[in-house]
Amino acid sequence: MSENEATPVGKVAPEDRRIGVYICHCGGNISDYVDVEAVREALADEPGVVVSTTELFACSDGTQHDMIDAIKEKQLDGLVVASCSPKLHQVTFRNVAARAGMNPYTYSQVNVREQGSWAHQHDKAGATEKVIGLVRSSVAKTRLSDALEPLRFDTVPRALVVGAGIAGLRAAIGLAEIGLEAVVVEKAPEVGGWVGRHGETFPSNAAGRDQIASLNEQIKQRRDITVYTNAELTGKSGTFGNYSAEITLHRDGGDKTLTVDVGSIIVATGFDSYAPDDGEFGYGIEGVVTLPQFKELVDASEAGKLIYNGRPVRSVGYVYCVGSRQEAGGNEYCSKFCCTAAIHASVLVNKLDPSVRQFHLYRDVRAYGRNELLYNETRDAGSVFLKFADDAPPTVAKLPSGGLGLTITDLLTDSREVTIPVDLVVLVTGMVPRQNKSLVDLLKLPLGTDGFFNEIHPKLRPVETVVDGVMIAGCCQSPRTAGESVAAGLAAVAQSAALLKKGYAELEPLVARIDPEKCTGSGDCLTACPYDSITSIEWDGRQIASVDPATCKGCGGCIPVCGADAIDLLGYTDAQMRAAIEEMFEASVPVKEPVA
Amino acid sequence: MDYDVLVLGSGIGGMESSIKLADMGYQVLLVEKEASVGGRMILLSKVFPTLDCASCISGPKMSTTINHPNIKTLAYSEIDHISRNTHGGFQVTVREKAKFVDWAACTGCDVCQKECTVAVPDQFNAELAPRRAAYIAFPQAVPKKAILDRSGTSPCIAACPAGIKAHGYVSLTRTGKYEEAFQLNLDATPLVGTLGRACYAPCENGCTRSQVEGTLPIRMIKRFVADEHYATHEGPGVEVSPPTGKSVAVVGSGPAGLTAAWQLAREGHRVTIHEAQASPGGYARHGIPSFRLPKDVVEADIANLTAIGVEIICNSPVADLQTLKDSGYDAVVIATGAHREAALDVTGVNAAGVVSGLSYLKDSAAEVGPDLTGKRVVVVGGDVVAMNAARTSLRQGAASATVVAQAGKPGALPCNEIEYTEAAAEGVEFVFATSVAELRTAASGEVTAVRCVPFSAPSTSADASEDAEAGDTVQAAAAAPATASSTASELVADLVITCLGLDVDESLFVDLAGVGNKSRILANRRSLQTKAKWLFAAGDVASGLSTITRAVGSGRRAAHMVDRFLKGEPLDGFELDSKLSTTKHRDVLARHSSITHRDPITGQVRLNQQPRDFTEIEVGLTEEAARAGAGSCLDCGICSECQECAKQCPAFAIDMTQRDKVSEVEVGAVVVSTGHKLFAADLKPEYGFGKFPNVITAMQMDRLLAPTRPFNTVLRPGDGKVPDRIAYISCTGSRDKTVGNPLCSKFCCMYSIKQNQLIMGALPLADVTMHYMDMRAAGKRYEEFYTQARDMGAQYIKGRVAKITEEENGDLLVRYEDIENGGGIVEASYDLVVLAVGIQPNRDVENLFTDAPLGLDEYYYVAEPSAELSPGQTNIPGVFVAGTAAGAKDIVDTILHAGAAVAQVAAHLEHQHFAEQEALV
Repeated sequence: MSENEATPVGKVAPEDRRIGVYICHCGGNISDYVDVEAVREALADEPGVVVSTTELFACSDGTQHDMIDAIKEKQLDGLVVASCSPKLHQVTFRNVAARAGMNPYTYSQVNVREQGSWAHQHDKAGATEKVIGLVRSSVAKTRLSDALEPLRFDTVPRALVVGAGIAGLRAAIGLAEIGLEAVVVEKAPEVGGWVGRHGETFPSNAAGRDQIASLNEQIKQRRDITVYTNAELTGKSGTFGNYSAEITLHRDGGDKTLTVDVGSIIVATGFDSYAPDDGEFGYGIEGVVTLPQFKELVDASEAGKLIYNGRPVRSVGYVYCVGSRQEAGGNEYCSKFCCTAAIHASVLVNKLDPSVRQFHLYRDVRAYGRNELLYNETRDAGSVFLKFADDAPPTVAKLPSGGLGLTITDLLTDSREVTIPVDLVVLVTGMVPRQNKSLVDLLKLPLGTDGFFNEIHPKLRPVETVVDGVMIAGCCQSPRTAGESVAAGLAAVAQSAALLKKGYAELEPLVARIDPEKCTGSGDCLTACPYDSITSIEWDGRQIASVDPATCKGCGGCIPVCGADAIDLLGYTDAQMRAAIEEMFEASVPVKEPVA
Repeated sequence: MDYDVLVLGSGIGGMESSIKLADMGYQVLLVEKEASVGGRMILLSKVFPTLDCASCISGPKMSTTINHPNIKTLAYSEIDHISRNTHGGFQVTVREKAKFVDWAACTGCDVCQKECTVAVPDQFNAELAPRRAAYIAFPQAVPKKAILDRSGTSPCIAACPAGIKAHGYVSLTRTGKYEEAFQLNLDATPLVGTLGRACYAPCENGCTRSQVEGTLPIRMIKRFVADEHYATHEGPGVEVSPPTGKSVAVVGSGPAGLTAAWQLAREGHRVTIHEAQASPGGYARHGIPSFRLPKDVVEADIANLTAIGVEIICNSPVADLQTLKDSGYDAVVIATGAHREAALDVTGVNAAGVVSGLSYLKDSAAEVGPDLTGKRVVVVGGDVVAMNAARTSLRQGAASATVVAQAGKPGALPCNEIEYTEAAAEGVEFVFATSVAELRTAASGEVTAVRCVPFSAPSTSADASEDAEAGDTVQAAAAAPATASSTASELVADLVITCLGLDVDESLFVDLAGVGNKSRILANRRSLQTKAKWLFAAGDVASGLSTITRAVGSGRRAAHMVDRFLKGEPLDGFELDSKLSTTKHRDVLARHSSITHRDPITGQVRLNQQPRDFTEIEVGLTEEAARAGAGSCLDCGICSECQECAKQCPAFAIDMTQRDKVSEVEVGAVVVSTGHKLFAADLKPEYGFGKFPNVITAMQMDRLLAPTRPFNTVLRPGDGKVPDRIAYISCTGSRDKTVGNPLCSKFCCMYSIKQNQLIMGALPLADVTMHYMDMRAAGKRYEEFYTQARDMGAQYIKGRVAKITEEENGDLLVRYEDIENGGGIVEASYDLVVLAVGIQPNRDVENLFTDAPLGLDEYYYVAEPSAELSPGQTNIPGVFVAGTAAGAKDIVDTILHAGAAVAQVAAHLEHQHFAEQEALV
């Protein structure tokens, strides 16, 4: 450690700090591959380490209580937990520190699971050695930690909803009902999205257009919801709780822009329907239609008259999984809604004209949950289901007689190849992500390999994204039904309210700090900052750089470009990182091979 | 309004709802019926499709929930009912169930769990492994607190008039803790060996095993632990409280007096027993012959008292209680029993060779007693004293012993049935329905014969004696002789023993306390205190003639009251033995899914015709027999009250007196997130669950795979073998009209695929096959997850399974349809079969709402009248539903559904708030 480094805030010499080190078994996830007891021992005598212990689950409530007791009793001023990724538990243990009256920013998490046990499952000694190094390194960093305070700021009680499909509209109402103003931006001239074009939908059999109309009616009666159609989100600045959104209105007289301040943004931009290639399952032949086209046809039909191109339809064949569950390279995902949507359409057809014969060529009928009842209903009404193998899709061809022939090797009837003559072939097309590059770039939305927007955690945090205050809902995230989209929209409302309802929010203080004495005002950092958080100000008669802590993300991009070494990242100061790295090199201690 | 929102159930949906609402600033009351928040998710291994460790992502959520400043969590609590209140909200009756552990003191250290002697199936391990009756839900429980699982007071404990925890010493014996079992008896009485022989064991009548193949040998187990203790220990080994400086005199050293003295001495009082006889023990020593209760057993029991400093002064009849009190005692317990014998009121009663039963037995007890070789003995009366006298006379050499009883038949005798059968087996003869009219006397003044006349009892008294306990009713055999009858007969007699009933001699207390019914002392029934405040009565003197077990109970009660009296504490307003309602046999039998037959273990009694020696006739249980007998216990009340946890708890947190706490709260809105139940797999008998040990449910497999798993690997329960061939059967209880559930459960395909992958990771050599109907991998990244499982080598066979049979080695023969390969019926053998059980509604919510019932759909899930636009809304304004309470959902769907419900809860509360503001304006 070089001598010119400052004593950390609190004025305690690094070696006099009182640090607690907790090494987690993670129920075996770590301890199966890392000798946690050896880690504990190695850390116990480190300068400044007062507590060194192992725990079955450091994150369990019982251990949290033990930690709090230890922090209080032993007057700890630093905490290191060697467990999993900070993404999982940094907040957990910071809260532990806070509840114990310790500054949460003197807590450091060491990821010895992903970087230790999981990465080195075949080398227990090596993994243990590495973990000792990682934990010592973190202790070194913690010895130099400062007590930091979060930045508290007021939030705007208003949210922006991008997309006025059923999810977006319902979300807007949900926001308003909670007392948060809603601003809705819709690219199309009309609100309502896909659902607004539909007649009867499942499971309630309410007409989609009626549902949209009723939402729209509610919106019109509220002063706290503003809907812009023919409009796009074209600019965004600020940070969660205080975004400034630039909306461009496409008007006859030219584009107009306006700016609204919002606390959060709910993205509900929906999906596109899979468009089959020419010739894909006979697409292009007259009588071969996609599911949305067929739904339109059914919706427009009157009882007893399912007519296509002027001719009555006596038989329909459905080919499932068109554009979904494809081999690698295509759309590998399942579109979830289409099985039930096709089944529902067939139920409607049966109601229109029970004499229409219907054949469903499927792989797995994914009529999950209560949708199973519709599946039963259509079978009871005479729909015939034939299963084709994943690698042997059916073919569609024009028959010499003039109709269409669906040829399938049916696994349900002894794998015989049959050709079914039908009047109409419905390609049960799935969903594809809607291309929306400008929005993705603007909001820095992460995309999954399937092209849909990605949430922060697919299990427990399904509407949040890695961008604070930006949420996703509905089919822009993954294929789903209208009802599920609405639920997601409302969940995004709840998440917005959890952020905005209090009227203030707190930000991490882990931001860049300029040493005005050292800053030469070169301006290099201003151009390096991707968040436009650094401005030039006058200080002591000269121009120096200044960081806006509310918008600084703590990315550290400014630090290496500073020729004067005038910038430090709070929580990750140069001194801390240097000590951490030095310790890592010094920590290389040989670990005995475990006795078999 | 006490809280803005009540959230019912703390599974993932309930936690999500609570946290989000609390983050918005609302005050939330979260009520969870289990001991920990977290629901089912925390029990899972990993979650699909991310394969995140369930503990790792659920644990923090649990912690956040109970540590949130805006959430009040009540675990182990239930809602009795919910009704509308007058201001738009709800009135909620919350029941915090008795935990029998002071949670404020409990540190979750799990000592109680380790000490507990009762094992029950662990619901948190899908019943794969046992947990204890004292338990912490699971190691990651939040809050991490212990609970004693008590379904009621075990019937054996409830039946014991002495207040002995029979279930407790049985469960201690079962676990080999014989000394602890003895000590538990000592908590009630020093007379453990005595009761182990002479108690009529009302506990055994209460035993639920008696409804199956026969009662546990509870009394014999007590005898075993007593014999074990006396053979291996010096002294009782009990702790005595520091001296209080108070002195108590106990008058009489029968079971009541000894027990009272024991309890008082343990409390630190100085106790002196005044006994009129030459040796202590009262009826136990003088009334029960040594072939039934050896004197050394009584002496060993009495030595317990002297070991802790009780002074027993024999040959010390008390003439006046006030004088005794004034001689330096702070209180006096009168326990003089009921030993006044009724006299035979016929001619010749004063002849030589006519003795009363008790005096005969007492003389016999002193040494071997009189030599009756060749003598013909007639015993008048049919009570226990009569039986004991008749049997004793045989041992003293009597040529015959004949009991003359008014009772018309054996069952009508005023003694316990066993007394009669044993006496008869030893050769005692009986003359029923007979009264004694006269004792004939020789000129020398000695009795020569008994003249008998027929007797017919009034029907009522005969009925009463049918089911009377021994000694409860004693009829004088020589009440008014029946009218002279021509059928009079004579029995030749060399010795006539009259056993005509016992009652209380009131002469000692008549002035001081007063005399009640049947010459009993006048004392408060509960406190046993007499008019003279310092004088308490114990045993038969207070109750009239009873059993030694009741006398022990009475002595214990009297001592407790005297102790309170000496400490200046009130003698009412408390329960001596804090009991719950007695567990019912049928509930116990219903709780045990199957009860293995066990041959009842009974004591061996050596009964010889014309016995000639006084050796104990009953043979004690061997250690094996005692443990096997105890091992049959069905743990009726679950907790056995063995007290081990209470003794060992470092925080002194065990509190058996805790009871449910019911309170009323007002809330503005309600979120029902009560989750679901899993299909009971035994309802598909063709799959053999519950019958074939190697057929398990998927929840059990998740436990086997979890990091907190009960065993260290995936094994099959039947024999612990690590399985090589594992089959999954999808749609068990779902999409199945034969079990009344046509619905798809949605998550089973996915959790099966998850488990398939985890098994292939844990057991790289294992083959995993799933028999499915449709693979419903519908959801974000689910199809990819399915593909991944197939790429790893899992086999998926389309077609239903018709039947599973078990092979001799425990393997399972699965008969299924292989649709994709010709549709034939195929049989395959597997090591382990996992049933992918589906979801069932949790119908606990049905009757919660007392005004307007909560709307349910036709499958008993909470109905959502406008599921598409307002998911989570129910038929009751202000009541919302989150998660699987409304139907099948996986975790992410539950999170979203909870989010939707929460958004509408907030809307409802805002609207309500707005309406209130309007009303104020």
